[in-house]
Amino acid sequence: MKVTVLQENLARGLGIVSRAVSPRSTLPVLANVLVASDEGRLRLSATNLELGITCWVPARIEQEGSTTVPSRTFSDLVNTLPSDQVLLSLDAKTQTLNVRGGSSTNDIKCIDAQEFPPLPVPDLDGAVQLNVADFREMIQQVAFAASTDEARPVLMGVLVQVEKDKLTMAAADGFRLSVRKAALASPAPAPLTAIVPARALVELARVASDGNEPIYMVAPKGRGQVLFRVKDVEVVSQLIDGTFPDYQQIIPRKYTSRTLVSTAALLKACKQAEIFAREGSNVARLNIKSASSDLQPSEVEISATSEETGKNETIVEATVDGSGVLIAFNVKFLREALEVIKTPNVALETSAPNAPGVVRPVGDEQFLHVIMPMHLG
Amino acid sequence: MPIRLLSSEVASQIAAGEVIERPASVVKELVENALDAGAKSITVSIAEAGRKLIEVADDGSGIASDELALAVSRHATSKLSKADDLFHIATLGFRGEALASMGSVSRMVITSKVAKSNVVGSRPTKAGARIKVEGGREGKVEAVGAPTGTVVRVEDLFYNVPARLKFLKTDVTERRAIDALLTRYALAYPNVRFKLSEGNNVTLQTSGDGDRRAILAALYGVEVAKQLLEINSDEEGPSTGSGLKLSGYVSPTALTRSNRKDITFFVNGRWVQDTPLTAAFVQAYHTLLMVGRYPMGAVFVEIAPEEVDVNVHPAKAEVRFRNQNRVFGFVQRAIRRGLLAYAPVPTVTPGLWGSRAESSPQVGLDWTIAHSSDQLSVDSDQLEDVSRESGVGQPSDLQPSNFQTTAANKVPLLRLIGQIGSTYLVAEGPDGLYLIDQHAAHERVLFEKLMAQHDMKKIPSQSLLTPAIVQLPPASAKLLNEQLSILTHFGFDVEDFGSNSFRVRAVPSLFAGSDPSAALRAIVEDFEEDEAPLQNEIEKKLAARVCKRMAVKGGQTLSPDEQRALLTNLENCDSPRTCPHGRPTMIHLSVEMLERQFGRRGAR
Repeated sequence: MKVTVLQENLARGLGIVSRAVSPRSTLPVLANVLVASDEGRLRLSATNLELGITCWVPARIEQEGSTTVPSRTFSDLVNTLPSDQVLLSLDAKTQTLNVRGGSSTNDIKCIDAQEFPPLPVPDLDGAVQLNVADFREMIQQVAFAASTDEARPVLMGVLVQVEKDKLTMAAADGFRLSVRKAALASPAPAPLTAIVPARALVELARVASDGNEPIYMVAPKGRGQVLFRVKDVEVVSQLIDGTFPDYQQIIPRKYTSRTLVSTAALLKACKQAEIFAREGSNVARLNIKSASSDLQPSEVEISATSEETGKNETIVEATVDGSGVLIAFNVKFLREALEVIKTPNVALETSAPNAPGVVRPVGDEQFLHVIMPMHLG
Repeated sequence: MPIRLLSSEVASQIAAGEVIERPASVVKELVENALDAGAKSITVSIAEAGRKLIEVADDGSGIASDELALAVSRHATSKLSKADDLFHIATLGFRGEALASMGSVSRMVITSKVAKSNVVGSRPTKAGARIKVEGGREGKVEAVGAPTGTVVRVEDLFYNVPARLKFLKTDVTERRAIDALLTRYALAYPNVRFKLSEGNNVTLQTSGDGDRRAILAALYGVEVAKQLLEINSDEEGPSTGSGLKLSGYVSPTALTRSNRKDITFFVNGRWVQDTPLTAAFVQAYHTLLMVGRYPMGAVFVEIAPEEVDVNVHPAKAEVRFRNQNRVFGFVQRAIRRGLLAYAPVPTVTPGLWGSRAESSPQVGLDWTIAHSSDQLSVDSDQLEDVSRESGVGQPSDLQPSNFQTTAANKVPLLRLIGQIGSTYLVAEGPDGLYLIDQHAAHERVLFEKLMAQHDMKKIPSQSLLTPAIVQLPPASAKLLNEQLSILTHFGFDVEDFGSNSFRVRAVPSLFAGSDPSAALRAIVEDFEEDEAPLQNEIEKKLAARVCKRMAVKGGQTLSPDEQRALLTNLENCDSPRTCPHGRPTMIHLSVEMLERQFGRRGAR
């Protein structure tokens, strides 16, 4: 293999794929990046067997070939090379990659590309076309609610459902639920339901950081995998096997009290409460007071108490529609939900201290977040 | 056979059987009499483990010669006059049965002289008096010369009850029973001089100067005695005079026994074997000892005589308390408090790390206990004198000079170094290296947090998005049903869902990160084997069990932040040194030990 590539292209490509490298794997080749010539471009791939990322980099191929290069060594080296052309030439017999850039020449010991696990070759027929900006926002609004508890793998994933021109994503960790819907530019050829690991989606959101190019998503039947392609990057992930809880049932149908508040003000109050609540069990109380008279306007009083630290109390102006209620939440959950809400105002729907609370952005029907309350026994 | 009245001889032998069943019972009755008589010195001599002869001599108040004949008859006593007196007994004996019982099953000689100051009336007593009783038949009282006090000689015990004689154990056993008995009385009355001898062989001798630790050495051995922790506690009662007092010596957590036999209780100076009291003692060590290990120690409880009924057992080995729960709780709290005040970290015995470990690689690390020398309230000089006088132990062994010092109770501020084997944390403290078992440590942290929240009646519980349905085997389901109310106290919201399944709707927020059904299962697993007499204990057991399941496991890699948080939380624990099941959470390798091992402080 003999390839010339621009340093900045190579560095960017390595930066993208190295997210999937597993440095502490028992399989040494998984700590390497596959470097291969591929139809006039240089293909870089890395995988930890659950998540695989491939990136194509423009290059001038003089001689075809492939090998796997230790990711850390290669990235660190390329990042220090001058912003100019880099010449890669492989001695296939010794599996040594010579990397030449500027006035420096380096030999890196590699592992034969034969040992690298094969990544699926995508067939983009029947792929769902998604808008990058929308999809990134969806991931951001949903993935944080997924569980990190390996005991319940289903909840570590995000439910992705496509039906006609509607896309729905949902994640839950047993105490909260985040649901985001979006309309597709063009209807999907076939309905699709898959549980995608939250981590894969977070990586995808990172990769698809710029541009207006669409994301293509395809989940070939029976393979247990999902593949996303954005521009010159492919992200492949294993799907999570199992049944996602029926989240529709969890969303309360009605409420007795609807509180409208400024998103920023409530978020700030939550952050302040969290400073005190984090010492204990993250409990913050929301005392929602409806207007009793002209002198007593409706408001939300957020308070947190810690045995060691002290206590905090913040009053946020609100429009309360319905009766008041005193309800406690894990303030971290509430804060995380508010952080992903883009609208200036937010509605909190509650009905009883032991019934779930629903957070909705005002003027945006696409997102909702359900948080289970806490109570002090 | 026609029914007929038993002859008085047979009747008295039957009655005697309840009080006098072995030589040790004779010693007990006589020593108690001596103590009741205010003796300052009690000398017990035995021959052939007490079968041939038991002689107890005291310097107490003595028995007047004209009362001597009365003293040996049944139901004759000076300690009690009306039935009401039974409810505030301040003496060890009170039934007036002991001498009569002994007299009916042996050849007994009582020699006694009343101290001058004790004489009532004008008739001066020049000499003592003596009476012989043989198989229940009283002889004449004759005047003899004698020192002040009483000497009771019991010869040929059970000579006329061959059946009883056959049931005596071997000499060694009987002798040990006498030893144990007298040692315990010596412990309870450190101001009385005790001496026990068989022939020329003195087996116990105390100085009577009030120092108990030397007597402990005789009872438990020198090594153990010097480790025992001294505890003292008082509690006011609801009214004056109803207060409780407790003092004694208890074992530190590293010193354990495989049974409860070495737990000794004295109530108002009386040695009693009381199951609830022993249970209270053991419960004080709850979560601090490994399963199947028991503490040891001697505890003296003082309580107003009205609060305790001693007249429930022929040999008075059992007592009843008017308010058993109060006494129980008090004993448990007092011991627990004393224990937590010391709570040392196990220290690795350096020897096993050196060359000796190579020769026997199978040898596990041995534990010793790091004490603070000032906590052991032993005046070594005094102790030395006592031991020399009384011939107990080797004085040099009792010097607490080579004790290592560690701060009590809390762990010192620790600096995290890292995690090894994904199982242990390594940390540096001001006094050396600490190895911490992450699972045990986390278990302790969760347990204390949960119990603290529980005690404040404020366990935050987190509702579940979707209730978890847990299906259990029928037996477990039944058990869980009985414990549902306790679970509610701990922040669970569990309801019976029919056909052995349960619906979990909320869990304590402490466990919110993990699987709720695992928490529930942990509670009922192996529950069958438990016998838990007290509500409080059930709760603690449940809590300990859930915490065990919820704690991080060995083999789980923790991020540096998690490791640091675990250390900080452990530092804040009340008893950070053991997990709730009693396993140690940490091993301490002192700087001195490391220096020795590296040869910086001369070769060992």
